[in-house]
Amino acid sequence: MIPTLLGITVLVFAISRIAPGDPVSLSMGVDGELDAERAADVRKARMELYGLDKPVHVQYGKWLWRVVRFDFGDSIKHHRPVIELIGQRLPITLTLNLIAFFLIYTISIPLGVLAAVRHNRFFDRASSVVLFMLWSLPVMWVGQMLIGYFCGPTFKQWFPPAGLSSNHADSLVFFPWLADRTWHLVLPVICLTYSGLAYLTKQVRAGMLDNLRADYVRTARAKGLSNATVVFRHAFRNSVIPVITIMATLLPAMLGGSVIIERIFSIPGMGLLAFEAVTTRDYNVVMAVATIGGVMNLVGLLFGDIAYAIADPRISFESSV
Amino acid sequence: MSSKKTKDSEWGLSFGEMVSHEFVKNRLNVVCLIFIVFLFAATILAPLLANDKPYMIRIDGEAQFPLFKSLTPSDYSVFLAAAVGIFQLFLIRRNRRTVEPSLRSGVLWHQIAVNGVVVLVGCILIFIFVPRRLDATGYKEMAASGEASEAIFAPIPYGYARTDLASREQTPSREHWLGTDDVGSDVLCRLIHGSRISLSVGFVAVGISSIIGIFVGAILGYFGGKTDFIGMRIVEIMMAIPTFFLIITIVAFFPRSLLNIMVIIGITSWTGNARFIRAEFFKLRNQDFVHAAVSLGLPLRSILFRHMLPNGIAPVLVNATFGIAGAIFIEAALSFLGFGVAPPTPSWGQMLSLGVGVTGRFLWWLTLFPGLAIFFSVLAYNLVGEGLRDAIDPRLRKSI
Amino acid sequence: MSRNGSLLSLEGLSVSFFTDDGVARAVQDVSFSIKKGKTFALVGESGCGKSVTALAIMRLIPEPAGKIVGGRIKFRGRRLLELKEKQMQSVRGNRIAMIFQEPMTSLNPVYTVGEQIVEAIRLHQRKNESEAWADAIEQLRRVGITEPQQRVHEYPHQMSGGMRQRVMIAMAVSCNPSLLIADEPTTALDVTIQAQILNLLDELQKQKQMSILLITHDLGVVAERADDVAVMYASRIVETADSKLLFAEPLHPYTRGLLESLPRLGFEGRRLHTISGTVPDPLHFPSGCKFHPRCPKGCKDKRCRGVEPELREVSKGRRVACWYAAGYESEEEHK
Repeated sequence: MIPTLLGITVLVFAISRIAPGDPVSLSMGVDGELDAERAADVRKARMELYGLDKPVHVQYGKWLWRVVRFDFGDSIKHHRPVIELIGQRLPITLTLNLIAFFLIYTISIPLGVLAAVRHNRFFDRASSVVLFMLWSLPVMWVGQMLIGYFCGPTFKQWFPPAGLSSNHADSLVFFPWLADRTWHLVLPVICLTYSGLAYLTKQVRAGMLDNLRADYVRTARAKGLSNATVVFRHAFRNSVIPVITIMATLLPAMLGGSVIIERIFSIPGMGLLAFEAVTTRDYNVVMAVATIGGVMNLVGLLFGDIAYAIADPRISFESSV
Repeated sequence: MSSKKTKDSEWGLSFGEMVSHEFVKNRLNVVCLIFIVFLFAATILAPLLANDKPYMIRIDGEAQFPLFKSLTPSDYSVFLAAAVGIFQLFLIRRNRRTVEPSLRSGVLWHQIAVNGVVVLVGCILIFIFVPRRLDATGYKEMAASGEASEAIFAPIPYGYARTDLASREQTPSREHWLGTDDVGSDVLCRLIHGSRISLSVGFVAVGISSIIGIFVGAILGYFGGKTDFIGMRIVEIMMAIPTFFLIITIVAFFPRSLLNIMVIIGITSWTGNARFIRAEFFKLRNQDFVHAAVSLGLPLRSILFRHMLPNGIAPVLVNATFGIAGAIFIEAALSFLGFGVAPPTPSWGQMLSLGVGVTGRFLWWLTLFPGLAIFFSVLAYNLVGEGLRDAIDPRLRKSI
Repeated sequence: MSRNGSLLSLEGLSVSFFTDDGVARAVQDVSFSIKKGKTFALVGESGCGKSVTALAIMRLIPEPAGKIVGGRIKFRGRRLLELKEKQMQSVRGNRIAMIFQEPMTSLNPVYTVGEQIVEAIRLHQRKNESEAWADAIEQLRRVGITEPQQRVHEYPHQMSGGMRQRVMIAMAVSCNPSLLIADEPTTALDVTIQAQILNLLDELQKQKQMSILLITHDLGVVAERADDVAVMYASRIVETADSKLLFAEPLHPYTRGLLESLPRLGFEGRRLHTISGTVPDPLHFPSGCKFHPRCPKGCKDKRCRGVEPELREVSKGRRVACWYAAGYESEEEHK
């Protein structure tokens, strides 16, 4: 784990150093002329990042030393420490993702099991088609369509088009505030959930189908167990194990999706922060987001591995970490 | 396995042919293939389908061909590549009839290599010799005013880069079948030209990621031990950062261009392929035919690529197909966020981002049509990938 | 129990599989009976339908692809094929038990062996938790597993192949079934373990007066352990006999071929005898007698090529399906 953590920092640092040319001219190349103050800001950020005249590994060391103490420098755009910004925005993204995770797992597992048990019958075939199409739907299209059709003056206005809470939310007591917040989150959560849901349902179904064909299921039936017992106590128990590790593949995809969804729905989370940082070339923030994103991902993977070792008696704890 | 009564039933079928037969049994796969061919056609013929210059215009009795004169070197290169590609497909059919199965793959590689060189040399020549002409003549005005006695325009008579502020943000109509965007360009025209961007990013990015992935995977899988240990750590590090985060991090530091987008997507998605090939090579490493090759003293390059690789290539092909869908999606996402290709280059993602105006006005045609384009392309490639996977091993519906 | 003392009798059992490539008649018109306390061996090469027959008795044929399309199965007077699924579930594991070829994959990897045995015990017998566990430990001891109190909490992957097969047997006999179906129980095991397992089955049979349906392709096993034998080829039974008689005087050319192919000690110098040709594809059986393409006499005979011989009783307890078998012709002429 530790070497991978270090490796992430190396990778992020390397990207920033390999970048061609001078960040000032980079910014100018696309956005047009930078005014003098902006150019000075960008140059200052770079000096902070690198300590330019020192050799590369020293620069990396200095950067790493600061990163380990959670000092990512200051944001050019907001003129505040990056870590503060992240501290504000991260919980929001985490909440959104956790809600989405919860929904994905509680809906996909029963759906997948049902599709496997009714293999090749109407429900299975129909749901396979629908889920496949869901999986292929580009999330930015879904987001735009939802906003356009349900949030605006042109068609319906059932949901708010932006933000986490309405303007008057501060004045509300808890339950109305919660209701308002939920109302704002419905569409973003849908966007974040549908793709992972389609993927996980497919995996659960495939796993169940494999296990239902397994030899030990035949033995269980030969013992005289009822179909329900065979499906749930035997096949299902074996199928959930790989489903846990799928969390490892879902998490990075959802973090990436957060960037798009938070941008579309103007939700002040880490994804939106990343988007703004890339647009304004706020390098400190970009590097911080990449590093922290990587760390979060690794932590998620670690949880997944631990859960896997607990669930599967064939895996010993030491071998997985 | 009961052999089908085909022309080459005396010779039996090669792996590629068996997979193809199995693949086309499913009508859905065929439909998707047809759609993909249609996409390719749109890409190749884009300048002929949607162009603001006429095929032919007669001025003062003299016929001129402005559209053909204004074709760029990249247009010609695309034509050349397409022609050679179609020729290669015919060659494959001919091979099945005239070449013995065991020699077939060698002959095929040879043909592909020769054709590749032809395309490459052709492109270089094209870029050197074809002049880039800028033609701003107002052919439409000439035709309308009667200055020209006759004019034949392309089916979609608009250029993708021309702005026409008088016709901004128009809903679909007889003049503009799918409406116009925020600067007045015709949506259908930009959709067609945008397919070039999407498909080229798809294929080049996947090409890069496949080559890197195969290379790394082969080395790690074959050598094992320390090499594998270090290599897998690197793979893990790359997979630790969420791919999209990694991409936008790199995008932040590098100038925006089409080539950069292709390369960035390519170098961030090779890890999946590397893992497959590594797993396959681990399995194959201990098989007898590899020991035989080593004991014969064959060079490493030959062992890896001529003997072991063909056995493990199947999941890479499937992954590549899904990869194309993924690359199209990522390019669209990047352009949507404003990190991809910049206007006036047409991109479906960029068009999508214009759909919701600042005031909340919903320009539904700018959301629906580019979105459908992205959706159908991604869907088609995903379905072809699934179809390939099922054709390669129908009993083993495991996740790849 | 029916009149002639048979515990289980099959009459004209037929099982077919409906695939995309056609209908595969895996089992056709199979009839035999197993007596109480005796071992009945069903012998044949892979793909001849013997495992499918066993699964059909347990009504475990995977639907919808497979279906029992004809015949009757009588077990202790009851018609198994007419039972409802719930009734069949009380027969499985309880009155008729089955063990399978691959002990590694036949046990659920995520439950301990104790949990799996207790599951069977508590399902069919009125025992509470602690009684069932005590019983499970006792079953493990009976099948020769040392330190059963510890083993009972182990997972299948922690045990060797031979031990796993013992666990399977323990689980199968835990409810004292009258019939144990053993589908190639030793094929996946080492030779030394094979003998142990077969001895174990013998012992259990004597202790419990249990009938055994032994399914195998290994004639060596049949010779030592079986009382009666049926030889299957390409979905049909081609010969049945008392075990000693079968080995002494095989009537069907296939049986003769099988016996001659067995390598023998002291048989020097010459090439091993083989039966030429291969087992036919169940989707495309040959016409007439299914063995005729490989039979030295039948491949030239018009009747063998055209008409399938029935399984006919040629002497007491002896049945054979071959136009050329001793006793067969005379019956024909008798008519």
